[in-house]
Amino acid sequence: MKAFRALSRTKLYWGLLIICLIGALASPHSSSGMNIFLSYGNLTDVLRQVSITGLVATGMTMVILLGGIDLSVGSVMGFSTIICAMLLTKSGWTAASIMGVPAATAVSFFAVAFLARFVFSGLARGRDDSAGRRREIALGPWRSMRIPALLGFVAAAAVAWFTVSQVPTKFGVLGVLLVTPCVALLLGSLNGLLIVAGRLQPFIATLAMMVSALGIGRLTAGQDHAVVAVYTGTNATEAFEVLRSMLWGVVPMPSVFFLAAIVLFGAILRFTTFGRYAYAIGGNVEAAKLSGIKVAQVQFTAYLLSGLLAGIAGVLFVAQYRQGKPDAGAGLELDAIAAVVIGGTSLMGGRGGLSGTFVGVLIFGLLSDILQLQNIDSNVQLVMKGLIIVCTVLVQEQNLGQLVARWRFRSSPEAGAEVRSVEPNRPLSAPRAQFAREDLDEAS
Amino acid sequence: MKRREFLKLSTTIAGAAATIYIPSGWTPAKAAAKWKVGFSQCTTLEPWRVQFNKDIQAEAKNHPDVELVITDGQDKTEKQVADCENLVVQQVNVLLISPKESAGLTGVVEKAIDAKIPVIVLDRNVDSKRITQFIGGDNAAIGRAAGEYAVKLLGGPGSAQGNVVEVWGGLGTQPAHDRHDGFHAFTDKEPGIKYLLNNQSGDWKQDQAYNIMTTALRNNEKIDLIYGHNDPMAYGAYLAAKDAGRDKNIRFILGIDGLPDEGVTWVSKGQLTATFLYATPGAEGLRQAVKLLQGEKLQPVITLPTMLITKENASEIMKKNGLL
Repeated sequence: MKAFRALSRTKLYWGLLIICLIGALASPHSSSGMNIFLSYGNLTDVLRQVSITGLVATGMTMVILLGGIDLSVGSVMGFSTIICAMLLTKSGWTAASIMGVPAATAVSFFAVAFLARFVFSGLARGRDDSAGRRREIALGPWRSMRIPALLGFVAAAAVAWFTVSQVPTKFGVLGVLLVTPCVALLLGSLNGLLIVAGRLQPFIATLAMMVSALGIGRLTAGQDHAVVAVYTGTNATEAFEVLRSMLWGVVPMPSVFFLAAIVLFGAILRFTTFGRYAYAIGGNVEAAKLSGIKVAQVQFTAYLLSGLLAGIAGVLFVAQYRQGKPDAGAGLELDAIAAVVIGGTSLMGGRGGLSGTFVGVLIFGLLSDILQLQNIDSNVQLVMKGLIIVCTVLVQEQNLGQLVARWRFRSSPEAGAEVRSVEPNRPLSAPRAQFAREDLDEAS
Repeated sequence: MKRREFLKLSTTIAGAAATIYIPSGWTPAKAAAKWKVGFSQCTTLEPWRVQFNKDIQAEAKNHPDVELVITDGQDKTEKQVADCENLVVQQVNVLLISPKESAGLTGVVEKAIDAKIPVIVLDRNVDSKRITQFIGGDNAAIGRAAGEYAVKLLGGPGSAQGNVVEVWGGLGTQPAHDRHDGFHAFTDKEPGIKYLLNNQSGDWKQDQAYNIMTTALRNNEKIDLIYGHNDPMAYGAYLAAKDAGRDKNIRFILGIDGLPDEGVTWVSKGQLTATFLYATPGAEGLRQAVKLLQGEKLQPVITLPTMLITKENASEIMKKNGLL
């Protein structure tokens, strides 16, 4: 039974392995006898192709963990591609820079101010003394909002100076990497605001954003431009090609962003109070509220981060495909949700994580690569993808151990019941809420 | 209380934003116009449609006695039906329509004809015998032109040799099938031509064609000719080959559409070998509408001719459109 439990807990990884095996066995060979699927170039192609969906799915995971949903990511990504492409190709005060410069300034002010306050209050909290009580270190003004606000102001001034200096010429790589995600972050925070302060359902609020971001994107681009083309070297800076190159000739640049996001936010979800709160809220909002968790803050942050990641994905889209267009992300939100669900995160919230999403994204990417290498009709590919979603989720939800047990011990129901009780893989909202409670005690 | 204040605030902001945007998109009617021509466009999200609108607007400047009203169906049948109903209520003298699809818009076209408004259908037809005129390109003819040219490039009829990658537009769409069938009417006769992909659809999009081509390049060591059902897809395939360092090995890349700022530009840079013009019926549509208003009788169908665009004539077309 132990083997079953181990198998059941790691079934997603087995799924990934099986897909890889199928890919390797079925792969065509090149004339020199090399297995094309397993070739390094092909695998990095897959990693690069999934990076944009992967970044968006990372943000989506956090939102879904909270029991919410973000339908706007595709449109926000499309809007970001427009902002990025316009900043790169048009000089002067265009619609993109008029929106981008204030957005970057405002976001850098708040980001630095809150970060500084977080660090200072962390310092002020101090360590436990010998009697086990906390010693408060008197930092005075550092703990209040005054000094952090000052620091934020300095940062905002620096960012404003930097971005404004880029306006007369076209924006460089650093410029777009700074400004575009900031604009997307503001759209994400507007989602959060509508959901938290306006108490709209996430589905409705983000649906509204999905529709309007497409419209804003088209208005920004102007009626004459359904597509903003980016030709690096002629109408945009050649340095922008960095974002589609291979880092040290090993890893494609887009996947560096994707992997970094997975590691960073994976660590945040696993090791920080924010992450624990996210699980607690997703498990049971009421319990979390009664435990004193600031639910609104956590929800707001999640939607904001989802927007931010969609913005970064937008920049990478422009780098890879040399164009910005308002409908660049059409259908992206559904791909991202599919990857999150395949990764075992429950749409009800509170269960799952980023490692699952990472595997889910990879399964999706490898699958379409295999189908493409097999040269299978595009329509058949769509059907196969649907099947994979259904199959993986069936296996995820139906406990694998249970399925096997039912099949093996069909004659004796007691034995089956015994196996079932051994499986701990049920929603853990109650124990998790308790865990968060402990965290809270520790923090206060 | 808080919630009400929030709602008030957001309404104010939305209102303010709307007031800023409306003046830029809204133009008051020309008082001097003698005739009112309504044009229902199905979407403006594609570059070809944008060019279509540009063409019809440019032509409208030549006819000061015509007031042109353009609506955008936003790629939704029901929105376009509503647009047409609205134009009928406005009692336009002629209705031009470029329908999103045949079945969904036939009804409203009939309705306009019942209201004594002549209808000229552009690009895609509707299922009605009572329309005044249909103007459109012939995708099958363009596909045949591309196929004939491809055979010529690969060695001439009877001796053409090469591996061909074809990137489909949307698999369920009529233009894609016409462009495919027309192309194969010529290339299928050549035993030396091999097709490497099996119905791979890039859905008319540059990014999807890029990803299809990336894998095709891994899978096939020798590719001679790429045929994209439109220019952005052909260009996406070119970019994939370039990023893989193999753009020099692929001898020919053909596209369709020939928009000045897309296909023609790429051809003039040598990134695509050739593109075939799929002319927008914008200018011709308005000219025919004016003819009708002046009392002339129109022929029932006008088929717009295609044109081969290569490096030789590309710069001339770009100059004509103010791009050089």
